[in-house]
Amino acid sequence: MPRYGMVIDLDRCTGCRACMAACKVENNTPEGSFWMYVFRFEEGEYPNTRIWFMPRPCMHCDNAPCAKVCPVGARYKREDGIVATDWDRCIGCRYCEVACPYSVNYFNWRDPEENQYVNWKDPELEALSGGVIPPYKNPDLDRPCGPEKRHIAGASHVEGVIEKCTFCVHRVEAGKTTACAANCPEHAIIFGDLDDPASEPSQKLQRKSSFRLLEEAGTHPRVQYVGGTPHGHGWRQIQPAGKRS
Amino acid sequence: MKRRTFLKSSAAAASGSLVAGSLMAGCLETIVEATIDEKQAAQKEEWVPTTCWIGKQDCGILARRVGGRVVKLEGHPANPVNHGTLCPKGIAQIMAMYDTNRVKAPLIRTNEKGVPGEFRRASWEEALTLVAGKVKETRARDPHAVIWQKGRSKAKAFYDDAFAGATGATKLHHGAYCSDAGYRACEYTVGLHGVLHPDFRHCRYLLSWGWNITNAGGNKLCYLTWPRQLVDARERGLKVVAIDPRLRGAGRFADEWLPIKPGTDLALAMALCHQLVKQGTIDQDYLKSFTNAPYLVKDDGTFLRMAGSEMVWDAATGAAVVRAEARDPVLSGEFTVDGQPVRPAFEVFTKHIATYTPEWAETVCGIPAATIAHVAKELGENAMIGNKMLVEGLSLPYRPVAIMAYHMTQQELGFQAVRAMLTVMMLLGAVEAVGGQRVDFSWKPNDNYDKLDQATVKDGPYNIYLKESKFFPINSNNSGIVAKAMLDPAKYGVKSIPEVCILHMTNPLIAYPSRKDIMEAYSKLKFVVAIDPWLSETADYFADVVLPAATMEKYEGPISATDQYVDAVTLRVPPMAPLYESRGDIDIYLDLCEKIGVLLGPDGYLALLNKSLKLKEPYLLPLDKKPEVRAIFDAWAKSQGIEEGVAFFERNGVKVKGPVPASKFYGIAQNPPFDGRIQRLYGESLLRIQQEMKAKGADEIYWRDYTPLPTWRPLTLDASPADYDLYLVSFKLIEFKQSRSAFIPILNELAPDQCLEINPKAASSRGIEDGDEVWVESHNAITGETRKLKVVASYRESIRPDTVGMAHHYGMWVHPRAKGMGASPNELFFTGEGYVTNTADQSFHVKVRVYKA
Repeated sequence: MPRYGMVIDLDRCTGCRACMAACKVENNTPEGSFWMYVFRFEEGEYPNTRIWFMPRPCMHCDNAPCAKVCPVGARYKREDGIVATDWDRCIGCRYCEVACPYSVNYFNWRDPEENQYVNWKDPELEALSGGVIPPYKNPDLDRPCGPEKRHIAGASHVEGVIEKCTFCVHRVEAGKTTACAANCPEHAIIFGDLDDPASEPSQKLQRKSSFRLLEEAGTHPRVQYVGGTPHGHGWRQIQPAGKRS
Repeated sequence: MKRRTFLKSSAAAASGSLVAGSLMAGCLETIVEATIDEKQAAQKEEWVPTTCWIGKQDCGILARRVGGRVVKLEGHPANPVNHGTLCPKGIAQIMAMYDTNRVKAPLIRTNEKGVPGEFRRASWEEALTLVAGKVKETRARDPHAVIWQKGRSKAKAFYDDAFAGATGATKLHHGAYCSDAGYRACEYTVGLHGVLHPDFRHCRYLLSWGWNITNAGGNKLCYLTWPRQLVDARERGLKVVAIDPRLRGAGRFADEWLPIKPGTDLALAMALCHQLVKQGTIDQDYLKSFTNAPYLVKDDGTFLRMAGSEMVWDAATGAAVVRAEARDPVLSGEFTVDGQPVRPAFEVFTKHIATYTPEWAETVCGIPAATIAHVAKELGENAMIGNKMLVEGLSLPYRPVAIMAYHMTQQELGFQAVRAMLTVMMLLGAVEAVGGQRVDFSWKPNDNYDKLDQATVKDGPYNIYLKESKFFPINSNNSGIVAKAMLDPAKYGVKSIPEVCILHMTNPLIAYPSRKDIMEAYSKLKFVVAIDPWLSETADYFADVVLPAATMEKYEGPISATDQYVDAVTLRVPPMAPLYESRGDIDIYLDLCEKIGVLLGPDGYLALLNKSLKLKEPYLLPLDKKPEVRAIFDAWAKSQGIEEGVAFFERNGVKVKGPVPASKFYGIAQNPPFDGRIQRLYGESLLRIQQEMKAKGADEIYWRDYTPLPTWRPLTLDASPADYDLYLVSFKLIEFKQSRSAFIPILNELAPDQCLEINPKAASSRGIEDGDEVWVESHNAITGETRKLKVVASYRESIRPDTVGMAHHYGMWVHPRAKGMGASPNELFFTGEGYVTNTADQSFHVKVRVYKA
């Protein structure tokens, strides 16, 4: 059984956010929901300024605080390392959102079908969508996943349900890599079996020193960063993505 | 598959007058069979190879189609430019395709122009007949009265060459707003079409000049391809020196940041030249063999010639001889030939740069002299002058230093600044050497090397963009100047102004400065037609007819897919039928030409296509009947030796021709090197042009930058009053392309708001907090005019305290998703004298003052 993880090489990340766009279209995430988010940071004072970038997916922690607090077992850790959300079970209590130190959970306050950037439920638009929302809906997301046959892929877009990065479980189970890794123009995001020393992410970890976010929290993230150091104090986010102010 | 049918709107349902907004937003009829189709085809999954349409380099795409519906666009793995990946724009254009705010049917204006448009839906037949009639009638009367304006042409052979050729329309481009100053400088100086990029495979030391390197855009390729070559090169040890008022362009990839004062790049480049000469780190053999540095210059600034051939001083014989006969040409000294004093051009050059010391440059550029000196030292060391490398069996000069520059060329002294930057590289012997300075993808000598050298200044009347005029003899075709000439034809010696304008994939009101001039000028156009998937702001105010073009769902091309090292070609193939009633642009032009009466016959569109597509027997298009678009591409593919024809591309997407051999890649590897083209360190013809301009009575503001050597002068904008104490610069964002993507929701979400980047020190001294709304007020140093707009201030430690920055792409008002994103800096920039200089290129710099709103 492979145990998946992700290695992100900050030496190669140009902060382009192509991974964010790829994730959005692959997983049909609603407006304002960023399963992958790329921070652009600025540190220091002019002219001793430093700019750097940091993609942030769900960390798929081995000691996942979100799974521990889920009262209904909707958030659970799979044997292959993926932290999954069963959207059939989720009751929308948002405990996971509070427990997660990485802010990777997004709650569907609205009917996601009305929140796919366009209100596709508008009867006038039905001609274009043919009832499929959004019209570029990924048909793979509805399929139950894993031996447990639970609904954990991207179609967790249900009102009153929490959602987050799934490590593209529907792709991974089909033998592919995650959408963000597949699309990274600079090959900064690498996904694979961390238990296999020959896998690309394992090889990268052998070559370069790595760190994990908030390691001191004891969460044991399965996402590791190389090619940089954890940010210190005095950083500022520039060019934030999100809803218009 | 019947998607076309069900998505098609019924023309019968729409009659009467509708405002553009309501027509665009969701006037679709549902046709039930669509749902049936979906179910029948539900399981069928296909991958259609095609290309991106939104960006600059048309990356290869595999469109995932399920049940006839495109559900995702992924990068084509075999395409050398993008290797299976796409930028945010490429991914997000699926939303552009399905955009419910596209123009869904041909529109005909029902209200007056110059105000937001009201349109009625028309049939293609009615709209095309109307457009063709206007074009036909107008060109019969005055061929110069029809203009065709493009923002980007995605099939040059079909549009720029064949359509403009067949109709005789005057072509207007966008390059004077983008990088044309750099193109002209490179064409003239080294004879290559392009601006500046490195041989990333071998480069060790890079001056990243301007904001392109990871931020957006770049020479010949987009943001996506260059950064991959950059990060690979950095893993091999490439050092990057970022030269830009903002750090964001180079991001974390700057090993050193030289925050230069806007518009002073020429001064820095000349100071680097000064230091290289002082250090003695110059490639004398290169200068003697491949540049005009040894040519003898007379006191009047012209070359000494014998029987038309330039002469050099030959140390071997101690006499002036024609260049071809010299065994040992000298670079310095003063000589007397036939009683007249002469000096090698390099001697003139060294005198010219004597005062351009790092200390002097510090006062101009705001970069410490010591920094300039150490960068020059590192340049000299890293150039490894004298070294050679064995590449594919060829022993070639190895000079792993280069400059990367593109959009920074659009500044007052842009043309000469790029000449100065090329001079740095000539001194190091790095142009077209291994690891060195590149301009084009491979060694492709450009005609403008001779044409610009031979450019003459003519008497009027001039055409609408003042080609060969005493104002802008080397001309980059600037629509701002077109606007100025339309508003005051007498001043510019223009006899008649255009009446009909065809807008192709361009939105001048948003895209080009200055909006005010363009607004006034376009209101003089009698008939405007926009070929566009969306109702552009320009169409909103001025279009008489809007013809809905498809987005990526059409055949278009052919498209080069080279990343500079591997050569490939691709085509855009429709991943589904055009949505709504839109049509592929080529279909539109074929019909338009037919109706105008310029499709058939020996001078018609098809005859020109045969030429521009380089079609060969037996695949030449017959000149007596209208072909299908697919059949044209089939003829093209077969003429290219691809037996399978267009089906090859429909199946594979990209034809990879293979690695570009070093013998075709490097100019220095040619026999003779550079095909014998001598690089123009000294621009003798620029001096001649200056004299001709003066003789025709041109004012100094037009001729002053036509100097044989790049020459610093105080900038026009610095003549603005002292209270306009900040420089406004503009830049582009990775997330958007030109003015055709800010309304795509995913992109719009990635970069939701316009802001004014301002250094906290500059802000706090003005009482401006991060996030405050401020007024930015620009001043025209020539006319005294001021303009202002409101924008939100955003603190940046990564920008000079005397400089503020704004991104392009914003400022649209028609598409509901783009409304309210904030203003465009084009509202603050000025066009015309002082801001359009030398080669008729637009400057994107202006002095502003910023105060709390």
